[in-house]
Amino acid sequence: MGLDRRDFFKIVTAGSASMLAGEVKAGANGGNHRFSDNFGVLVDTAICIGCRKCEWGCEQANSLAFRDKSEYEDKSVFENQRRPVPDKYTVVNTFEKPLDPANPYYLKVQCMHCNHPACVSACIVGALEKKTEGPVTYDPWKCMGCRYCMVACPFQVPAYEYAEPLTPQVRKCGFCYDKLKDGKKPGCVEACPNEALTFGKRGDLLELAHNRIIQNPEKYVSHVYGEYEAGGTSWMYLAGVEFEKTELPVIGSEPIPEITESIQHGIFKAFVPPLALYGLLALAMHTFREKQAEKGDNHE
Amino acid sequence: MKIISKNPAIVGLFLPLILAVGFVSGVSRLSADEAKKTTLDCGECHTCENPSAENLCLKPCPSLFMLQEHAKHTVTEAPDSMLLKILVNEYGPVRFNHKLHARMSDMDKGCAECHHYSPEGRIPPCGECHGGEANPANLRQPSLKGAYHRQCLSCHREWSHSTACAVCHIPLGAESLTGNVKDPTDIIGIPHPLITEPVKRVYYTPYDRGPMVTFYHKEHIDLFGLRCVDCHQKENCVFCHDLQKPARLKKSQEEVHAICSGCHGTHKCSKCHDKKEKPAFSHADTGWPLSRFHRGADCRACHPTGKRISKLNKECIGCHAGWNQETFAHAVVGLQLDEIHIEIECADCHVDRKFENKPVCSGCHDDGRDPRKNPPGKKI
Ligand code: SF4
Ligand code: SF4
Ligand code: SF4
Repeated sequence: MGLDRRDFFKIVTAGSASMLAGEVKAGANGGNHRFSDNFGVLVDTAICIGCRKCEWGCEQANSLAFRDKSEYEDKSVFENQRRPVPDKYTVVNTFEKPLDPANPYYLKVQCMHCNHPACVSACIVGALEKKTEGPVTYDPWKCMGCRYCMVACPFQVPAYEYAEPLTPQVRKCGFCYDKLKDGKKPGCVEACPNEALTFGKRGDLLELAHNRIIQNPEKYVSHVYGEYEAGGTSWMYLAGVEFEKTELPVIGSEPIPEITESIQHGIFKAFVPPLALYGLLALAMHTFREKQAEKGDNHE
Repeated sequence: MKIISKNPAIVGLFLPLILAVGFVSGVSRLSADEAKKTTLDCGECHTCENPSAENLCLKPCPSLFMLQEHAKHTVTEAPDSMLLKILVNEYGPVRFNHKLHARMSDMDKGCAECHHYSPEGRIPPCGECHGGEANPANLRQPSLKGAYHRQCLSCHREWSHSTACAVCHIPLGAESLTGNVKDPTDIIGIPHPLITEPVKRVYYTPYDRGPMVTFYHKEHIDLFGLRCVDCHQKENCVFCHDLQKPARLKKSQEEVHAICSGCHGTHKCSKCHDKKEKPAFSHADTGWPLSRFHRGADCRACHPTGKRISKLNKECIGCHAGWNQETFAHAVVGLQLDEIHIEIECADCHVDRKFENKPVCSGCHDDGRDPRKNPPGKKI
């Protein structure tokens, strides 16, 4: 076998690299810094004015709808709490501002682009992918429609085109990955007139978020949502009241895939003995056939 | 502890150190002249009295993340109206009535209401630091578009409960609206009532024995030289504009009394409360009708103690102690002293420097002359 020194080192390095990666991932929330260079967005609910121009921007950027901007000035939508749906990857909802009920806080919801996305690990065909730049993208050509991602996502983000009879897809915010690759900002960020959405490197955004908290202690609670939640997310939030009072779920700092994976692995563990048996049988049959073939060869 | 740095280089070296990351670009905009004036309160960054190289005892430096400086400025410095057109693309320009907003802000934080950086002298316009794009090197600094929207909407949506673009943005191509604003009260085609001070206001209070309080508003400004913000404090936009004004914004009895008690004692109710309208204040009622010289003077010129108006010594020298024949221009009383008399000590004619009494000539002249018939100079 022609395995020279160089190839040997390649294998060893790759192996140790993957081991290292595995190690970082394994530490609950540890290695959060690994995502510092990922792209992210800081959503400042104390600056957001609920103008819904981000919804417009998203629909334009993703060719979801072509409504006039002024239609988004309709405030009646805030009467109900909305969720992202197949033709709306992001929605703005309200939550109460103590002392000033006439001017509530607003909160934009979309995919959080988790550092350790549960949707990705739940997807058995690899239709969802965590890109190295941060976005979690979706490939409809790989998707088989099992909707495991919808169950796995702790933020209940992926939506499914139930109304589409022939080729239903899972739909969710893809962080405008194509625009990002071109050095542009996501559609919603570009559309936000108040710059309540700040696009940048996750590490810089965290610094910005903590500075805002220190600088305006009367304006913010000391919590950057998404810094640790579910092992950290690319999209993060600031708010003037405890996040328990918003629609964002209370989530520990444990990466969700570790939970789901351990369940999945548990299931697969149960499959190991029968699989091993089948494997052995297959090996036995294979060797048997080879021997037979050799015999045949000799005959010729 | 205050330091006024005399050397701009020190400021230049020191600030980036404190600010660590990012903020430098904002600071570098200080010109050498402005930097000279920069006053830094040590306590803003340091936790201890005497920071040293070994022990910097630095705080996380909150107030320096955003350039903050607030010198005193007045409404009169404000430009009348402006056409904000640098960012015109989807919409036409925004007509911004700067003076009107300055007048309204004067009832709260003044220029600082919007200008987080208002040093002495010229206040730089927003666009001088905030660029067309959000600064990727300093995420704390929003773009000009973001800065404008945050400024305007933080108040506008609070009272209007609307974020409709057309409130400020003129549709593109609406010719008549793109010119300069002639009417200084005009806000995008809607005239705003000019903010003027009323002459007097009568308040009806729940106090039975004297329900009416007559307040001479104009007098407080003209005579006592009060600025809007001296009484109108924390009266932000919502205070006047929001029709569904939350109850918390209505002033309590204590708050209302506190405004007056800054200058007037509020222990004697009848001073302000009455069953009928009270006449305006007349200085003659105090036993000292104002002469033509004193009538035009600002109250504080004679009652400098500020807050409470004190009783003054009625003798002229009580206030004008420093006047002598050299410093007093005698002509103002209608008599231009001639060359001889102008050299003479005041007290030679005005015995014992009692200027309220008739001057005498008998100190020098023994012909019994009357200064009215035989004035020591030219009457003018
Ligand atoms: S928020 Fe949900 S859909 Fe988005 S990356 Fe995380 S797990 Fe996936
Ligand atoms: S990042 Fe792109 S896809 Fe996601 S909400 Fe914003 S505009 Fe929509
Ligand atoms: S565009 Fe910006 S300010 Fe408007 S609702 Fe969306 S996030 Fe908030």
